[in-house]
Amino acid sequence: MKNNFIERSIIGALSFLKESIFAEEYAARKGFLQSLDPRVKTVTFLLFIVQVLFIKNILILFCLYALCLFLAWLSKIDLIFFLKRTWIFIPLFSLFIALPAIFSIFTPGEALFAFKIAGLKFIITRQGLSGATLFITRVVTSLSFVILLSITTKHFELLRVLRIFKIPQVFVMTTGMCYRYVYLFVEVIENTYLAIKSRVGTSLHYKKGQSIVAWNIAFLWQRSYQLNEEVYKAMLARGYRGEPVVLNDFRMKARDLAWLFFALIIIVAIFYSI
Amino acid sequence: MNDTAFQLENVNFSYLGKYPALRNIDITIKQGQKISVIGANGSGKSTLLQMLDGLIFPDTGAIKAFGRELKESDFNDESFCRDFRKRVGLVFQNPDVQLFCPTVKEDIIFGPLQLGCGKREIEKRLEVILSILEIKDLLDRPPHQLSVGEKRKVAIASVLMIEPDVLILDEPTAGLDPLTTRHIMDLLIQANESGKTIITSTHDLHIVEEISDIVYVFGQQKCIVKAGEPDIILKDTALLEAHNLLHIHTHRHKDKIHIHPHLHLEHHLEE
Repeated sequence: MKNNFIERSIIGALSFLKESIFAEEYAARKGFLQSLDPRVKTVTFLLFIVQVLFIKNILILFCLYALCLFLAWLSKIDLIFFLKRTWIFIPLFSLFIALPAIFSIFTPGEALFAFKIAGLKFIITRQGLSGATLFITRVVTSLSFVILLSITTKHFELLRVLRIFKIPQVFVMTTGMCYRYVYLFVEVIENTYLAIKSRVGTSLHYKKGQSIVAWNIAFLWQRSYQLNEEVYKAMLARGYRGEPVVLNDFRMKARDLAWLFFALIIIVAIFYSI
Repeated sequence: MNDTAFQLENVNFSYLGKYPALRNIDITIKQGQKISVIGANGSGKSTLLQMLDGLIFPDTGAIKAFGRELKESDFNDESFCRDFRKRVGLVFQNPDVQLFCPTVKEDIIFGPLQLGCGKREIEKRLEVILSILEIKDLLDRPPHQLSVGEKRKVAIASVLMIEPDVLILDEPTAGLDPLTTRHIMDLLIQANESGKTIITSTHDLHIVEEISDIVYVFGQQKCIVKAGEPDIILKDTALLEAHNLLHIHTHRHKDKIHIHPHLHLEHHLEE
């Protein structure tokens, strides 16, 4: 079988899933944020994000973004990787959304720069440009905090943090199981694909290819249905009765308190400056 | 005192009411016994184990556990359900089914937490089990990152944590390397010596003699074709061959081709 578009897409999507969601490479490093209690880290980051939404002064926003990058550096995150991860897609997408706002048609005000395209005159206004910059910086800063939190915290710890926000335990557990079994299915898809490849050997007519893919989807659905029943039995076998009980074994350390204190000072200072 | 752990009388069970999985099963298991259930794939072994664990119930016939008849409605009673789950633990055939939590630690402590065990008691049990199974390093890892042997050890740990009187294991050594198999075998023998009832389904005939006082052979008709002590069952090559438990082996010795039934037991029989 040739290296066709579907093959590349499947392999690309699966390896992206494995690397980005399951690898937890950065969460395992011994950096600053990794050493913090996930509850303290989540709460302080959430407070930062809420503040980012209300800050109107772009300089303060830049300072918060700089703090985010500094924390990434302290946590042994490769900055190129971090910038790529935070700038590609969502901020670029928001840039396209914000782009029209810089022109005088949408945001009237003091003209900064004017140009003509196909006889039409476009004027970029100071108010438009600063509004768009504020919007993009907000998106990038809040997204950077979210990504920094997710890559420096193991997924199971993030799930456990949800408990302190009183999110029903059944929901937290279902999310955890979903995460756990998506990996299993990623492996099933990979192995099934390799098994097909090893037996087909030559290029395949696209109709046959479609039929194989359709059968695989059906097989995967059936497999997940069976697994669902079996897992439920395994839960019942160990005493599950519809409301899972969990152990709360978080422990606050001096470092957590120091970070909490520092973050609260920044948050209060920003609050009074806006 | 009633020393019977399980008693099945003329039990029949079918999936969706039309695919028979067990036919006319009569079994009595005493407390502290070692029982193994052998048979080819699809002969009903796993179904039987799930029934013993109160996860499925007979269509006809009766199953008694510790002298009391087991009915589905009994499990709506919280105290009965909790008591039964504390006394009987099942290790599933597929560890991916059993390990559903995000980390090994959460999986291991899931059972005792649901069954109302205190935090200190859980920590104490955890310490002991981790050292017995040598899995301390795996505690914070997600189960999907483990090897098959590690997954199986964690699955066994998750059931041992409950400290059940009856330990039911569905093919505990399938796909394991010889050393891990030996480790698990020793663990089961030790558990039995401490008074636990061990019920194992397997088609690995290497391990049957050590983990059985009585062996039940299941046939493709989903019924028991023979029951008896392991040495008698394992010598009945015709029976084992008829039920896909032994195969004809061909190999070459000094330019001569030998053909004989392959049981993998000769080294045990010589002792």
